[in-house]
Amino acid sequence: MATTSVVDRLRARVGHSAPPVSAAVEAGHLKRFAEAIGDPNPRWLREAPPTFLVALVPTSMHLAEAEEYGKGWLNGGNRFEYVEPVTVGDRITATGKVADVYEKTGSSGSLLFIIFETEYVNQHGRTVARLRGTAIRR
Amino acid sequence: MNVHVGDEIPELVKHPTTRQLVQYAGAQGDFYEIHYDQDYARSVGLPGVILHGLLKAAFLGQLVTDWLGERGTLKNFEVSYRGVDQPGRPYRSRGRVTKVDGPLVELEVWGEDPGGNKTTVGSATVEMKG
Repeated sequence: MATTSVVDRLRARVGHSAPPVSAAVEAGHLKRFAEAIGDPNPRWLREAPPTFLVALVPTSMHLAEAEEYGKGWLNGGNRFEYVEPVTVGDRITATGKVADVYEKTGSSGSLLFIIFETEYVNQHGRTVARLRGTAIRR
Repeated sequence: MNVHVGDEIPELVKHPTTRQLVQYAGAQGDFYEIHYDQDYARSVGLPGVILHGLLKAAFLGQLVTDWLGERGTLKNFEVSYRGVDQPGRPYRSRGRVTKVDGPLVELEVWGEDPGGNKTTVGSATVEMKG
């Protein structure tokens, strides 16, 4: 069955990290992000608001083959752990991996869950945040 | 520190528009069509374009940081998306204190659609300054 093989191929990725991706925290990007979420707190001119890291560097590996499953993506949830503040001028390196892949069958059909984990490290080599995200194909 | 279990934190009501979804798509770099292309959204079984889950998370993040101010630091923040929300409808973010353990305060947070359905549920842990 084609569907089963997609799940098997994705499961084979569990535990493997994607190549790290780095980006600098720029004042202009922070400002655009704060405007987009509609949060006028002047603190966010210098400091990253709680969900900003998802905009800085991609949090999920490109899993194009998952798109063979179902017809659309849904975000199931996000869990952030904050260790140190992230501010303008920091250079953040994100390393993501697929932590789990599983299928669930409910009343409305089958769903494929892909759990991503990303660790964010600053220019001093210190972990600033971790993110766990649940992507769903339906 | 004057925080007690059961305290409700001031609610935050947002009025997301399709324009804001496009603005957010650009700021996050998430160009999935379900957030700005009505025909595409309907083709995958949605009622129309929907809010980014992470935009709703940002609203809940603001709920917490507005309440917290400079009194402490956000340590953990978790959200689960339980339902879809469409632009043009107010989105109400609410929360309450569920646990106080020394400097650590846990909050339950959620976002409601106009029907009162909790379409986003989550929690936050903050560490208050001594």
